Amino acid sequence: MSVLDPPYEDVWGPRRVRMIAAALALVFVVIVGRSAWVVFNSPQRNDDGAAVVEQVRRADIVDRDGQLLVTTLQGWSLAADPSAIWDVGEVVDALKSVFPNLNTTQLAQTLSDKKRRFVWVRRGVTERERRAVKDLGMEALRFVEEPQRVYPNGSLAGHLLGYTNVDGAGLEGVEKIYDARLKAGGDPLRLTIDASAQYVLEEELEAAFQQFDMQGAAGMLIDANTGAVRAIASWPASDPRKRGDEPPEAKTNRAINARMELGSIYKPLTVAAALEAGKLSTADRFNVSAPVRIGSAVVREPHPLANASSVSASDIIVYSSNIGSALIAQRIGPEKLKTFLGDLGLLGGVTITGPQTASPLTPAEWDQTAMATVAFGHGISVSPLAFAMTYSPFATGGELVTPTFLEPVDPATVQRKRVMSRETAATVLAMLRRTVVEGSGKLAEAQGYEVAGKTGTAEKPTPDGYDPNRNITSFAAVFPASRPQFVVLVVLDEAQPRTGAIRTASVTAATIAGNVIARAAPLLDVQPVLGAPTVKAASLQGSDGPRSEGVAQ
Amino acid sequence: MNRFVIIGGLVVVAGLAVAVYRAKLGAEETQGRIDELKAETVKVEKDIAVLKAEEAYLTRPERIGPIARERLGLEQASPGQYVAAEALKQRLGEERLTLPAPDATPEAPSTVSPTQQ
Repeated sequence: MSVLDPPYEDVWGPRRVRMIAAALALVFVVIVGRSAWVVFNSPQRNDDGAAVVEQVRRADIVDRDGQLLVTTLQGWSLAADPSAIWDVGEVVDALKSVFPNLNTTQLAQTLSDKKRRFVWVRRGVTERERRAVKDLGMEALRFVEEPQRVYPNGSLAGHLLGYTNVDGAGLEGVEKIYDARLKAGGDPLRLTIDASAQYVLEEELEAAFQQFDMQGAAGMLIDANTGAVRAIASWPASDPRKRGDEPPEAKTNRAINARMELGSIYKPLTVAAALEAGKLSTADRFNVSAPVRIGSAVVREPHPLANASSVSASDIIVYSSNIGSALIAQRIGPEKLKTFLGDLGLLGGVTITGPQTASPLTPAEWDQTAMATVAFGHGISVSPLAFAMTYSPFATGGELVTPTFLEPVDPATVQRKRVMSRETAATVLAMLRRTVVEGSGKLAEAQGYEVAGKTGTAEKPTPDGYDPNRNITSFAAVFPASRPQFVVLVVLDEAQPRTGAIRTASVTAATIAGNVIARAAPLLDVQPVLGAPTVKAASLQGSDGPRSEGVAQ
Repeated sequence: MNRFVIIGGLVVVAGLAVAVYRAKLGAEETQGRIDELKAETVKVEKDIAVLKAEEAYLTRPERIGPIARERLGLEQASPGQYVAAEALKQRLGEERLTLPAPDATPEAPSTVSPTQQ
């Protein structure tokens, strides 16, 4: 400081400066103290000191009416602190008394690692197990609350719904296909499935096992106008609660993921292809009295037809003539048949929203032989779901619809593709109705619901050729014929009646399909047909129409 | 003058500090209340989920069908129980013949019981 500078004027005084400084320091201390309190006593933490984490709850899955099919509840999982365990053997023995199927060797090894502070013992324990473990009074064991997937209806629609792993990630079925949507939470995922109709279908497939000794079965009910799948089932049933811990036969979803040769239910498609190509009329007659050679295949009738020297296309369907179907296919040739079946989605290439069907197995070369066999449903393997959709044009007046599994189904956005004329669809529909009224599908008739369908009995292919003792029997139909609303398909794998020897579809699959329709139709709001039907099935019968001598196929 | 301005300023600052502190404290209390309500909401949602699951379990078709049949005598509707709309109209028309005329006054004697109506 220079002597020339003006003298410093102390306006405050050192005493007051110290007082202000002390006041400011006090304020500072308060602020710091409060900050510390906020940090260590934040309301964002709960009483246990664990941060409150807002978990997104995996969305529920409901049926079309909102009936809960899958939900997420808070459950309990058992964990242990190995570092706090003195006697591993004692703990393992105690846990074994609660969980009899516990892998004790593995658990003992895990619990022996004293460096670890946390290991899972059992994910997803029941309330009874939780109480039992608590009663053990072991301090090293503790329960952790975590979300668990719950299936209140048990195995209902188990194959379709699929399941998740213990961490809630979808592994199979809808749980896997819509995993991202379900993980995002929010509104329930609403399926097109009708829980009541689904139950009826599953119960009838189970009843089929009581009636027939069989390896497996599949069935479905589909809204023919929208493609909404109202029920779809595979037998043996799969229980999502077992998370895939089931025998292989229960794991396979035969309705969607299996492919099969379905036999004579293809014959209406062959007739439709020929009608559509203008190569067939309902007045045409065929001689099916003797086997015919087409390509390298010799086509025979498993059951001879009466008046076989002159049968109509309708008779060929009603009495399931292999020879007649092959002769009709010969009129249009392999390429046109292939194109027609391709338009119906049987050769692949159909994109559906939801579970993807098994890819079809089709002839490597579409020659005369392939054409003749495909005409009556051999030499081509598709999933039952893919096949069921091919009957939708008979119900919609010629338009193929794509199956869908999610509501809401907007009729304006339903994928439709015209694959045949209205006239062709109506003609084949009448033939299908006649098949049930007087042909191989009699046992499928459900009073008031005008079932129009076709039976199929196909020998199962083996590496050594077709096995005549092992059949796939099927019945595909639409109903009611006067105003078709639904497509139904039932497929039984190696169904052998427990009493009686007849094991064709006319006895096996047709019976089950009839039962399903009779029970499910009222649940699906299908009004029974009252009064005279509008589909004149009998009008398609030739005056000299044949009568089957044997058991219809 | 200068001293009064400074003291006044300090008072205002102190007042503002107190106000901010109270606001902050109030916000924290409110946040705490919000967290409590959120926790309560989560708990109620869990309870609702459990109740819905129980309802679904109790009303599953496998269980409810036999109960409806055995205890209430309910059976699935058979086609014979349906009546065409035309037939219903005709039937209603016949029954209307026995009902009082639509313009009949309330005092007019009625020939049908309330249950018939």
